[in-house]
Amino acid sequence: MSKKGTGLELPRATVGVSRWRRFRAAVDWPLIITVAVLCSIGLLNLYSATYGVRHHKKFDYQVQWMIVGTILFVIATMIDYRALVRLAWIGLGVSVLLLLVARLLGAPAAGDTNHGSTYRWLNIGGMGIQPSELAKVMVILVLARMFQDSESGGVPKRVLLLRLVALAIPIGLIAIQPDLGTATLLALIVLTVGFLAMPSVWPMVYLTLGGLLAIPILWESMHEYQKNRILGFIDCNVAPTANCWHTQQSIYAVGSGRVLGKGFLEGTQNQFNFVPEHWTDFPYSVWAEEWGFVGSAFLLAIFGFLLVWIINVALSARDRVGAVICVGVAAMTFWHVVVNIAMVLGVAPVVGVTLPFISYGGSSLLTFFIAMGLVANVSLRKHGY
Amino acid sequence: MLLKSGSGSSSSGSGLALPELHRRLKWVALVSLAAFGLLIGRLWQLQVMRGESYYERTVSNVVKERYVPSVRGKILDRNGIALADNRPSFNIYATPKSMTPEVRADLVRMLGLGDDEVVKIDERLEVGKKRDPKIPILVLEDQGRDRASIVEQAGIQLPGVEVHHEPYRYYPQGALAAHLIGYMTQMTTNEADKLANQGYDASELVGRYGLESAWENYLRGKKGIERYAVDARGQRLDDATAKTLIEGERMVPPVSGANLVLTIDAELQRLAEKSVSHVGAAAVVIVEAKTGKIRAIVSKPSFDPNVMTGHLTHAEYEMLKTDPRKPFIDKALRATYPPGSVFKFTTMIAALEDGQAAEDEGITCVGQYELAGTTFRCNGTHGKLDMVQAVQHSCDVYFWKLAERIGLDRISEVAREYGFGAPTNLGLNGDSGGRIPTKAWYEEHQKYKVGYATNASIGQGDVEVTVLQMAMAYAALANGGKLFVPQVVERIEGSDGHTIVAYQPTVAREVKTPSDALDTWRRGMYKVANEKGGTAYDHGHFDLMPIMGKTGTAEVRKNHKKDNDERDLEGWHPTRSHSWFAGWAPAEDPDLVIVTFVEHGGSGGRIAWPIASKILEGYYTKIRPLHPVGPVDPKDPKDPKLPVAVPVAPKQVP
Repeated sequence: MSKKGTGLELPRATVGVSRWRRFRAAVDWPLIITVAVLCSIGLLNLYSATYGVRHHKKFDYQVQWMIVGTILFVIATMIDYRALVRLAWIGLGVSVLLLLVARLLGAPAAGDTNHGSTYRWLNIGGMGIQPSELAKVMVILVLARMFQDSESGGVPKRVLLLRLVALAIPIGLIAIQPDLGTATLLALIVLTVGFLAMPSVWPMVYLTLGGLLAIPILWESMHEYQKNRILGFIDCNVAPTANCWHTQQSIYAVGSGRVLGKGFLEGTQNQFNFVPEHWTDFPYSVWAEEWGFVGSAFLLAIFGFLLVWIINVALSARDRVGAVICVGVAAMTFWHVVVNIAMVLGVAPVVGVTLPFISYGGSSLLTFFIAMGLVANVSLRKHGY
Repeated sequence: MLLKSGSGSSSSGSGLALPELHRRLKWVALVSLAAFGLLIGRLWQLQVMRGESYYERTVSNVVKERYVPSVRGKILDRNGIALADNRPSFNIYATPKSMTPEVRADLVRMLGLGDDEVVKIDERLEVGKKRDPKIPILVLEDQGRDRASIVEQAGIQLPGVEVHHEPYRYYPQGALAAHLIGYMTQMTTNEADKLANQGYDASELVGRYGLESAWENYLRGKKGIERYAVDARGQRLDDATAKTLIEGERMVPPVSGANLVLTIDAELQRLAEKSVSHVGAAAVVIVEAKTGKIRAIVSKPSFDPNVMTGHLTHAEYEMLKTDPRKPFIDKALRATYPPGSVFKFTTMIAALEDGQAAEDEGITCVGQYELAGTTFRCNGTHGKLDMVQAVQHSCDVYFWKLAERIGLDRISEVAREYGFGAPTNLGLNGDSGGRIPTKAWYEEHQKYKVGYATNASIGQGDVEVTVLQMAMAYAALANGGKLFVPQVVERIEGSDGHTIVAYQPTVAREVKTPSDALDTWRRGMYKVANEKGGTAYDHGHFDLMPIMGKTGTAEVRKNHKKDNDERDLEGWHPTRSHSWFAGWAPAEDPDLVIVTFVEHGGSGGRIAWPIASKILEGYYTKIRPLHPVGPVDPKDPKDPKLPVAVPVAPKQVP
């Protein structure tokens, strides 16, 4: 890879150039700009999404979260990822602990009455935090740690199994919160990283098949509302629930944007709240209604570019750990984007999966800032930092 | 910042950090492109291919249309007293499309609806479904504040159910002149279909009886259409927002209906109704002798139009329907009755016109009369009488003898000249023509017998008339021969009070009766009411002024077996004679013509006459006193000094 070559040569070839200038040249600007563009679109969209329903405070909160996120991004970039990876298991342990605490102390989220009591939130200083979001980052770091080990000749099958079980614990805890969306997403991240980083894909194929076979068992243990979401997705008439209505209204919103959109703040589906809670799970429908096919495709293209860029960083990473981190972040981003937009477009059931940097909410936002920080970290280190 | 050489710092043997990723890169690309391609394809499908139809749907999501009911015209008496008005009410509408069984159950439970109401709601929703299931239909009219607030607060729990604050038809005088005013009801499914192209909405009430029905097109006005915007919960958005969302007119304002100003005098009407309160079934018609304008028109038994208009329960309806006195048939102008002796003027006038008799001709009444082997019995044995006395005592024999000379068809001719046998053209409640038999008519139905003329001459047999026809005929007798078309609507006013149309009295025809023949009859009428031996005078004197009158006791056929089982209701019994009185006051300068009729009430002198007397007495002492107390305003159109009709000059059409 020529890029890697120049990256390594750069410090040597520019003797006398100040450390700051060398650092500035090594920083992954395309990544930062992409994230900044996404954040801008997110804020613009949130402004519209919360305009008609007078939730303007959400906009202020989101700005605050973005400031905090930027700080976390810088921290996640500066601390060497190899040092972070060493603490991965501890980090996962902490997030499992937080999940347990949320389970024991957590109260149902405000306004979340239709799901019965859920235990997704942990109250820290007046702000609700979802420990499951932190778990995503930790799982990615643990995966990096695992594949770093497997690099040197592989580990015994027993150890591998043990590690898989260890990974299954947070997933299981999240699933019984109940937050099937996040649990499924975590499982997808693990599977995707496994497929892309394991020397042989067959263990992952078996695992996937096993997971698919477990679906009937999972189905039986699911809550009624969860079943209805999926049934409602398959056929609105089978289970005419609120979710079905969400999806229907979301499709109307997207479709009614036509080619060029209705214009900023002009989306009637959005402004008059036909798609409930559209600022968290359905911001894409707001965007699609107001900016049309052109805007929708543009946003999708930005996500596409982000993914290509992260994979590119993975390919040019200086070590296996960095590459696996990038693959993990790419997988997380990919599945978030695809599942969320598919849900908005009515081709996937309604699950609580956010759209990175566009959805309102601190936990999701901070997670993605940290994740992107880790990618920037890997990108920076290839230059010898 | 530089990393010390540590674990994982070195690349794998291939020189690549993650060779597996490089190997599987094409799979990554393939899966990613497939996923993104699917999303883009779906976006294309939704936004580009189906965009227009979804756009339409989001507009209809937000923009709703609703009818704005027009304010129905009032019905006022001649002095401006409201007989039919509108008052604010809460109407509950439901949208058939949103009315799932669950919502319906919620609605029934939350409002605590009775069985009758549930049936009504289902019927209306059925009507609404056929019309347009997305447009709310009126299911419960005129509801209380409590139910209105339940619906308003239910919000999304009762989707598609709305409360509207709308004018509601209201009859401030209750049952006063109920048959004349009529009432309103919801349309039937058939009517809704038929009237849809006339701009009716299936949820509207429609005039069902009386003036409400006959003058529907003037009263209803034109409903408006309002287009407004709602949010997801169906909550109405403010006007500023609506303005930005709705292209074109947001409001086509309704046009109020026209007011009907009647010739009816509400006070006189009330007096007349009160005067028949003691009898089971009756009709009273009071008209202005010189104009044919109806001042009061009563049909008893009656109903409360307020109850009929939307509040009638099934039980109440059944009771009204099964009443043998048939409350829904207007006894003043729809039902026909044998007139009895009040009809005798036709026989007399025919005989005088033909020169077949003279006023001073004496005929001896022996209490019975023989013709073609049949014995007819008179109501008394009157001895020798002249024509005037025959009227005074209502001697049948005298008129039978006249009939023998002139024949049935001459009586019929005069009767038809006075308006019998054809509808009066009031155009209300199925105004009947009645029946004036002729020889030809009898030949058609059965064989003619000479006795039929005998019966017809005293208003019996197959002669059938309406009370209104009798009033118009007596008005002609009173005013010297002008047979008027009865008039009940004085003028039509716009909702702002300006006259749109003023109606003039219409003369149907000038009768040919010579004035001396009229005078003979009038002298008879005078004696009836003012001299001893008069069939009215013997049952009560009228002291305020000399008046004219004629009583009638019309026998009914008693061979109806079923009738004998009927109940006796407030003096009403199906075998009893009909009681008539027809006359006018004052005798010399006629103002009001009054006909009182008591169905199966008995003797005309004993039953119908006191009622007429009471009405006239009340009118000339309280409503229009002959001797007013205190100063009189000369400008007062109701100047009470003269008991003469002062026709209000109708305003010119602008």
